[in-house]
Amino acid sequence: MAESELLDAEEYRRLCDYLYRRTGMAFTEARRYFVERRVEDRMIATGSSSFASYFARLRVNMEGEVEKLINAATVNETYFYREDHQFTCLTSNMLQERLRVKPPGEVLRIWSVPCSTGEEPYSIAIWLLENWPEVDAHDVEIVASDIDTNVLNAARSGIFGKRALMRLSAGLTGKYFTRAGPEHWQILDELRQSVRFTAANIVAQTETRPHGLFDVIFCRNLLIYFDDTSRRIAAENLYESLAPGGYVCLGHAESMSRISPLFEVCRFADAIVYRRPLEAKHG
Amino acid sequence: MPLIRSKCDNAAAGVLREEPASLASASPDERWAAARAACDPACISSLGDALALELDARVRQAIFTALARIATPESAGVILPYMRVDDASTRTGALDALRAMPEAARPHLPGLLVDPDADVRILACDLVRDAGGADGPRWLCAMIETEPQANVCAAAVEVLGEIADAAAGPCLSRCAERFPDDPFLRFAIKVVADRVRAETPAPRG
Repeated sequence: MAESELLDAEEYRRLCDYLYRRTGMAFTEARRYFVERRVEDRMIATGSSSFASYFARLRVNMEGEVEKLINAATVNETYFYREDHQFTCLTSNMLQERLRVKPPGEVLRIWSVPCSTGEEPYSIAIWLLENWPEVDAHDVEIVASDIDTNVLNAARSGIFGKRALMRLSAGLTGKYFTRAGPEHWQILDELRQSVRFTAANIVAQTETRPHGLFDVIFCRNLLIYFDDTSRRIAAENLYESLAPGGYVCLGHAESMSRISPLFEVCRFADAIVYRRPLEAKHG
Repeated sequence: MPLIRSKCDNAAAGVLREEPASLASASPDERWAAARAACDPACISSLGDALALELDARVRQAIFTALARIATPESAGVILPYMRVDDASTRTGALDALRAMPEAARPHLPGLLVDPDADVRILACDLVRDAGGADGPRWLCAMIETEPQANVCAAAVEVLGEIADAAAGPCLSRCAERFPDDPFLRFAIKVVADRVRAETPAPRG
């Protein structure tokens, strides 16, 4: 069998249908090579002799196989400027749209959840300072939350290794970081102080609600790990945490359409994101 | 630097109101809040009453989620009638909610698979895919032995193609023989029969 033909067309369709229903991850034909390689890795790891036997294992989630495949398919690693097309969309479209409907002078609020060790919220801060010409004209508040207090402590310390900075130019690293050892850099105090880190479980309304309303939420590669009910609850918490007309950005393979009808799909030039309607839908 | 950090959780936040909300309120926002707060089995009856009257799609979704969160056969039972409504978004919402509570929906599936309404039987086949568990293949095999409508059989066959193994082969063959004049169904059955023949039984773990 040729390297690109691990799965026949029907098997690929069945796998994609299953992953979409189970996790909300949407893979098109264009992602076939990537998906097949991840499946091949998992088949080897599980000793599955055929796709049929691997798919049977996946369907019954034997030994947590669904999570293992998700991890393989989402590159479970965080680094600065990851999926930066969404940051381009943030400064090109989303913030402009929010400013159009917000009262003048009101703070723009951005939420990074889950924020892990801080790469995403600090990336947003740097991106705004570097790429948004209007950054001096508006107050922007960045809140970063995670359920794991250990990663929050690491995020607050703002110390990162070389891999986390691999997508930043030397110029940006020099501008926003100081050396913290031979292989580590610490983000500038001023930038560290500009991000507020909080503990929050996105499935717990009592923990999301006190954070108030946001203009843009980054919630990437999290909902795919939840079961259907938790995903619905999380989507409703995200909806409640958005100002009307506010946006939520999911991971590149995730689709809110599978999870909840509460949001509108917005297809911008650089990213597909989801919006809480300005007016609640009726009927 | 224009980036700011607020000093307290709720600064600049426009926090939602905290007064108790009612499922019977005139305000959709309050009904939404009430539905989201109703996560106890004691709320099933009031959620069911509210669902029957609710016209706001967003609040209906919150009620479906609340019932899915309660996840008992009783809360699933409240949703079943919405599998027969004309409004597609409500029907889809009901199905999604039932899929979200597979253990609770499972006891209802045998009844749904013999429902007098063929459209409900088709939707039930789809539910078996996610909520049927180990019994799913057996239920669908039994169904296609007697189901009079070819399109319902086609729905069952499609799901069997995903969840069944080689044991389903004889049932599939008999189903094809019952519909000699339906080339689409016979083709679909052939495709699925070829597939399940190669399928190994699902491992238990």
